[in-house]
Amino acid sequence: MADEKKIGVYLCSGCGIGDAINVSATETAATKQKASFCKSHSALCSEEGVNLIKGDIASGETNSVVIGACSGRVMTDKFQFDGTNVVRSNLREQVVWSHPAGDEDTQMMADDNVRMGVTQARLGNLPTALAEGEFSDTLLIVGGGYVGMTAALEAAKSGHQAILVERSDSLGGMIKDWTRVNPDDAPYREPQDNPVPGLIETVKNNAKITIMTNTTVAKTDGMPGRFVVELAKGGTSSVETVGAIIVATGWRPYDANKLGHLGYGVSPDVVTNVELEAMFAAGPVKRKSNGSAPKQVAFVQCAGSRDPAHLPYCSSVCCSQSIKNALRLIEADPDVMCTIIFDELRTPGTAEEFYRSAQEKGVVFVKGKVATVDGNLTVTYHDDLLGDDIPMAGLDMVVLATGMVPNSTNTEGAAIELNPEQAVYSHDDINPAAPIQVAGYKDGVVAPAVQVRTQNEVPDGAPILNLQYRQGPHIPILADGFSDSHYICFPYETRRTGIYTCGPVRRPMDMGEAGLDAAGAVLKGIQAIHNVRHGRSLHPRVGDLSYPKFGLSQCTKCRRCTVECPFGAIDEQADGYPTLNASRCRRCGTCMGACPVRTISFDNYSVDMINQMAASCEIPDEFSGKARILILACENDAYPALDMSGINRHTYSAFVRIIPVRCLGSVSLLNVSEALSKGYDGVVLMGCKSGDDYQCHFVKGSALAKERMGKVSETLKSMMLEPERVQSMEIAISDSARVGKIIDDFAANIVKIGLNPFKGF
Amino acid sequence: MNAISPNPTQKYDLSFARWVRDNIDGGERMNMCMQCGVCSGSCPLSDQMDLGPRKIFQMVRAGMKEAVLKSNSFYQCVSCYNCVVRCPRQVPVKYILHGLGRLAVQEGYQPKSNVENARFADAFWWSVTTFGKTDERLVTAKYYFSGGLMNGIKLGLGNLKTALGMIKTKRMHLGAPHKAKNRGELKAILAKAVEIQARHEGEA
Repeated sequence: MADEKKIGVYLCSGCGIGDAINVSATETAATKQKASFCKSHSALCSEEGVNLIKGDIASGETNSVVIGACSGRVMTDKFQFDGTNVVRSNLREQVVWSHPAGDEDTQMMADDNVRMGVTQARLGNLPTALAEGEFSDTLLIVGGGYVGMTAALEAAKSGHQAILVERSDSLGGMIKDWTRVNPDDAPYREPQDNPVPGLIETVKNNAKITIMTNTTVAKTDGMPGRFVVELAKGGTSSVETVGAIIVATGWRPYDANKLGHLGYGVSPDVVTNVELEAMFAAGPVKRKSNGSAPKQVAFVQCAGSRDPAHLPYCSSVCCSQSIKNALRLIEADPDVMCTIIFDELRTPGTAEEFYRSAQEKGVVFVKGKVATVDGNLTVTYHDDLLGDDIPMAGLDMVVLATGMVPNSTNTEGAAIELNPEQAVYSHDDINPAAPIQVAGYKDGVVAPAVQVRTQNEVPDGAPILNLQYRQGPHIPILADGFSDSHYICFPYETRRTGIYTCGPVRRPMDMGEAGLDAAGAVLKGIQAIHNVRHGRSLHPRVGDLSYPKFGLSQCTKCRRCTVECPFGAIDEQADGYPTLNASRCRRCGTCMGACPVRTISFDNYSVDMINQMAASCEIPDEFSGKARILILACENDAYPALDMSGINRHTYSAFVRIIPVRCLGSVSLLNVSEALSKGYDGVVLMGCKSGDDYQCHFVKGSALAKERMGKVSETLKSMMLEPERVQSMEIAISDSARVGKIIDDFAANIVKIGLNPFKGF
Repeated sequence: MNAISPNPTQKYDLSFARWVRDNIDGGERMNMCMQCGVCSGSCPLSDQMDLGPRKIFQMVRAGMKEAVLKSNSFYQCVSCYNCVVRCPRQVPVKYILHGLGRLAVQEGYQPKSNVENARFADAFWWSVTTFGKTDERLVTAKYYFSGGLMNGIKLGLGNLKTALGMIKTKRMHLGAPHKAKNRGELKAILAKAVEIQARHEGEA
């Protein structure tokens, strides 16, 4: 193919490019790089400019286009030519907008960017999709509670068949019998009727929804678009093929038997919030001890929540729930005195209205931490606003607001033996015992103590989906047992492509949020169904057709690709060779960076391509005083941050050469050592934040890059180079104002330690 | 004239907060207090109070009835209305403080003789109802001696210079007190006001 390639380079001189650099000199650089031809235009993105390129493609003058203009992140609709590989060289944001016009170094940078573009075009091909076999449109929804039913209904509304699987004998879930729920409609001031009974009827009457009660998922195999799911009901099982899976297994209350210090089990009149709901459902609330109606009721908030010894997190709904139940007690009997003892009353969003409504209706709110509740129902708490211990005596009933525990496993099922290698994937690189740092405190201001969490192993019980993946049967969870998701940007995504979690199994939430969550997850599922059948990648490289190809002839069966894939996309065959489940793959290239023999590559992306691109830059000799620093910038956050830095006209050193990478996980150690041996004076890996609160769009790419960089120091030692020459940096998308300074500091340090002695070899 | 709160002798009273809400003027808004402390911070007299308004409200919620009603804060209030104007939750702080002060006197947490505001108010009321006007000389004298003979002499002598200065500049006269015309009508008005208030409290 390569010899047939006719690379056409098109340079734009608009947007200030022509004023800042000598475009004809850059044209020469491109032609010397063995491009077939190089043309320039004053506004490539204009109709005339686009037609120029289209004409050349149509006449067969070029079949591979390099566009030296704005960043590849913009004008993507203009510079898209069906059937032609397009490479974008960034001359605007990262050259002329961030470096002084007319400068020699700016010109060199522009030339090198075009050279890299030509190299990329030579080595890259237009990807062809991999989409073989049958695909299913059906969604499997696991969990028949409010969230699961809402999800099923949303799926049916959008025209998809839904299979709703519920392990108990009826739909409705946790709140089926609750009589009233927290308000979800304006004006958010009164408890509302429970929508679940009505929802059950709607779901039952929907022809597109197949309801399977008393059923669990015994096995899940396959990949998005065609998951093969074995559903077990009693002793029998059936096999279904589904396109995507929604997990809505919900929550269970925290075990109040562990709350003896709060009087649970000591007095029958100490009940949990969930027990109180059952008491409401059974009729007027009566004391369990003597059957009389309670007159003095205290609600103890954060009972076992936000407590390192119990649940370290806030369940976010218990405050509103206590308000609701206090209001209901007062509604039933205006003489009932309800006191809510809170540490921090958390009524997010519209629940604040609910809180005010309760204040107006005479519910008394006291801020304090409850120390003990004794058998006589005397609540002793420390009032933070008075600085005093208050004994609250004479209560009839104490309600403990216990938190939510996610059903990330089926606790009614038997646990599955995991081999030690698989166990690690439940948490993976995210350390559940890692302390949570408190961010955002200035120097000199004492931050609250770092919260140390208890080790939370894989919860007991059967895996919900029992995935037949090389990386184990569980959906990976975060530290507190909630299923992992990129909760800021991509909340529904789990680390298992095509499987989406929603509702309280993902994070604690109330019904209003959970309903929206269900709809969101279903939409993600539908996206998955429709993309994978065309071989298109799912988030975040949506629509990408390329996929990793394994050169099995060189494979050493080291298994690093199957181990390090963040999404469990690669399984091992019986003979030990890796096999790709294409639609599970999100095209991050982590396998490519992991492979020690570099036999994994994409049609348009490979380790060799990055090496060749870096090598195609001209490295000035060591007497010129001009350093060269290779920046491998993650295309998700770091590269846009660099673009934005240019848009805001922040400047940074012109000694850098920036290559976008799909994820830092796709960077091989070889990229670093090759760059240094070619004469680069420093290498920077710019990626997202790793660790417990990771920002990596591919979950653990930046963490892996860090780990690999830990090993690079040995390589550097063997090359007699200083370890400071290689650095990995965490750049968030909001760091555009900062990133220039970081680069300048690094460049200054490189100049200080001296240029690379390998230049010219 | 206020209703007497239940369990007047109890140190902690769980239902005190509810009782205040139902019986004290403005008490229904006290629940809206979010403990920001703007009232205490705005109060020009807060350094004279043993408990600021914010703390009093929280103590009411905690049921610390005795500690609240033994406070001197209510009688330091000069009704400047800073707290009422500035409260972000529209709690009528001043009204609640006055209501609680009255309750403390009624329930015997504060002997009236200890409360200077109460004694001054008595003197003022006496002058208004008797003459239809305030007479600085007589109101002051009555207030001075309400705390006992020795106290009256002490206070009188302490302010002798001011008094002489006022007489000299004709700011205080020495003859018979000025009186309003038609004092009988005033008495009828006041009687009617008492009747209306009694009727209102009966309804409440």
